[in-house]
Amino acid sequence: MNYPFWDIPYLGSGWVIGIIAIFHVMISQFAVGGGLYLPLAERKAMREGRSDWLQELVGYSRFFLLLTGVFGTISGVGIWFAIGLTHPEGTSTLIHNFVFGWAIEWVFFMVELSTAAVYYYTWNRIDPKLHLTVGWVYAGASVATLVIINGILTFMLTPGDTWLAVAGTGHEASKFWNAFFNPTYWPSLMLRTCVCCSLAGIWALISASRIDGGTLPQLKSSLVKWSTRWLIPSFVAMPFLFAWYLAMVPASQRALLRLGIDTAGAGTFSTITRIALIIIITSATIIGVAYYLAYRNPVEFNLAHAVAILMLALMATGAGEYSREMLRKPFVIGRWMYSNGVRVPYAAKIDQQGYLAHSEWVWNGSGTSYSRGEAIFRGECGSCHTLEGYRPLTSLLAGRDRANIESFITMLHEYKADSPYHRFMPPMVGTRQDVNDLTDYLNAHVNPAAAVGLKTVQTAQK
Amino acid sequence: MTTKTIAASVYDWVDERLGITELAAFARHKTVPVHAQSFWYYWGGISLFLFLVQCFTGVLLLVYYRPGAEAFESVRQITFVMNFGWLIRSAHSWAANLMMFSVLVHMFSVYFMKAYRKPREFGWLSGMALLGLASVFGFSGYLLPMDELSYFATKVGLQIPVAIPFVGPAIANMLRGGPDVTEFTVQRFFALHVVVLPALFVPLLAFHLFLVQKHGNAVPPSEELIAPEHRKSVPFMPTFLRKDLAMWIISLNVLALMASVFPWALGKQYDALAPAPTGIHPEWYFMSPFEMLKLLGMVNWLQGESGEIAGILLFTLGIALWTLIPFYDNDKESGRRGRIAHYFGLLAIFALVATTAIGYWTIR
Repeated sequence: MNYPFWDIPYLGSGWVIGIIAIFHVMISQFAVGGGLYLPLAERKAMREGRSDWLQELVGYSRFFLLLTGVFGTISGVGIWFAIGLTHPEGTSTLIHNFVFGWAIEWVFFMVELSTAAVYYYTWNRIDPKLHLTVGWVYAGASVATLVIINGILTFMLTPGDTWLAVAGTGHEASKFWNAFFNPTYWPSLMLRTCVCCSLAGIWALISASRIDGGTLPQLKSSLVKWSTRWLIPSFVAMPFLFAWYLAMVPASQRALLRLGIDTAGAGTFSTITRIALIIIITSATIIGVAYYLAYRNPVEFNLAHAVAILMLALMATGAGEYSREMLRKPFVIGRWMYSNGVRVPYAAKIDQQGYLAHSEWVWNGSGTSYSRGEAIFRGECGSCHTLEGYRPLTSLLAGRDRANIESFITMLHEYKADSPYHRFMPPMVGTRQDVNDLTDYLNAHVNPAAAVGLKTVQTAQK
Repeated sequence: MTTKTIAASVYDWVDERLGITELAAFARHKTVPVHAQSFWYYWGGISLFLFLVQCFTGVLLLVYYRPGAEAFESVRQITFVMNFGWLIRSAHSWAANLMMFSVLVHMFSVYFMKAYRKPREFGWLSGMALLGLASVFGFSGYLLPMDELSYFATKVGLQIPVAIPFVGPAIANMLRGGPDVTEFTVQRFFALHVVVLPALFVPLLAFHLFLVQKHGNAVPPSEELIAPEHRKSVPFMPTFLRKDLAMWIISLNVLALMASVFPWALGKQYDALAPAPTGIHPEWYFMSPFEMLKLLGMVNWLQGESGEIAGILLFTLGIALWTLIPFYDNDKESGRRGRIAHYFGLLAIFALVATTAIGYWTIR
């Protein structure tokens, strides 16, 4: 609407964010969990006089610094670029509302990065107690980053009635704390904290698995066992926390999880149920494999086993983040902004004045402009669909002629409460002319032969 | 009585009647060789696991599947109406395909480790018979949904035995239950799939597992050069069993991932009067023989029926040679024969991969 569209053929804009985000979440949650793991392990080693542990922790903290400080930061900044380009309307709302929160997060982020470097470079160079304090400072800063970003992420699913009451008035930031401590804030924070601890244990197992069990059986055994224990909070609390989290999610969103129970049909949004199933099976497997291969047989635990657990964790994290994102449908910010960037209260106005009348960037300034249908497709459909690739409209609409495509788009336009798409797709907003133009554009791709000779209507120059 | 004492009494009661302690002691003494190729030992177990998954999901599908005229409708209901019906059907289909893959990996690993040599000939022969039965399982199961693709693919597949001289048409008619693929064919394939094949497969599988238990894991020729006292091994119980179970869990995850992310599709209901849609092709594990027959049919002097007969003969000869390999390369001292068998194996892999790739490349 207010920003240019970034068209990403085949992959779709959602996956640009998704790929970077899943990679980032794996590392950033490790940064938090690992931040607790390192000082706790160091404290235990100091108390028990385990110099062999301390030696291992030096190597582990180098790995930690490299992974979180390099890949974590690069992917974190990558998310900013990606969301800014692929979903500028949503990003704009978040910035207007949470600029103060992000400022605080960046402060903690700088503290986190600095202390991680200081922690690694001062091993055996400063007083051990002071070194441990540096570790605790790091842990505090990294937990603080989670505490803050969790408020922003959960806001997108459940912004809460208080914030919604002022949304669009220009006074949104006045309800910062209401938006921040929204209904899903606490269960989500607890869930993520458990995940952080699990990831700390899993990444530590990677490191511990490389210790030669033949020559250092005691060291390997104690480190592998201690690291495996970091999965216990998840094992015990996750089912309850999930139940709590889901109880705080609006019933309409929770119902999305049921869409795929009785069908696997295309276009029925059944993916969310199927992906949610993956979280369950991979999480259960991680616990089982970690217990039998690591905890019960620590000396024989090898790198291949540890990598297998890590891959499972990657799958669980990916599936979890994907499900969380999908649970917001048809909104990107619950009840306020649809997933294609249209603000809910503006839909009626756009229906009257036309979609392109409110799109500032459709004319590209050169002699050849978009067709109106293509511009509407990019703006209204492109957030979730591609023509050929991810959720491809050419396949999803295959077999329909022009009249059929038009009636389908009309159904989305009318957005009746009993429409099956009402639950997970935004309405197609715009005038009758917009519906026709979008139909022409999609028909030209779904039925290329029938569309030969069709004269496309170009966008008006501004 | 504490829980511990109750458990001990139950164990004693069962042990007295079944001799579990003896079995456990036996399992503890059994060892599995450890060497660079040990990874391939897991594939038999993975195949077994995937077979068990199919038994379980197959029974659940059986509750709702209705063979005959309602076959398509019942599968449609399973896929699009029943709660988690799609998951059970997807898991069943994916497990079947993954099992065929793991069985092929298992067969080639046994072949290249020369685990068919004396005294393991029966293990090899029973394994080949199990592979044959698994293929028939796949072929008969493929038709059961009676959608467009399965109907026409089966129709094409059943044209192949027609080319067998004298008895071919009679065999094809018997399988079809008439001159064409109809609901009678589904009924027959259903009986084959859920009664006849399991009745043959399960005892044969038991025999195969008994032989594995009796002779233990074979070591590859490179390992045979090492003196027995210098070879490494691990106890079957609990070390190998634990790793084997870990592989089962990993297989379960792969299966769950495939079944959830790529649920098994159901095409349009078949229409016997409609022309065959484009892109009709057999399942991937039949693509190689299908393509070989097609390629032979393209040879000028073998066109028509003679080409089909030549193709079937050549293919039968290849399978016969493959199956009878233990009697040709029967001893570790058989240097030249062993090398020829090795090259024959490489040729078989090349032919399978190449013809499968050509088959998919040329789908019309």
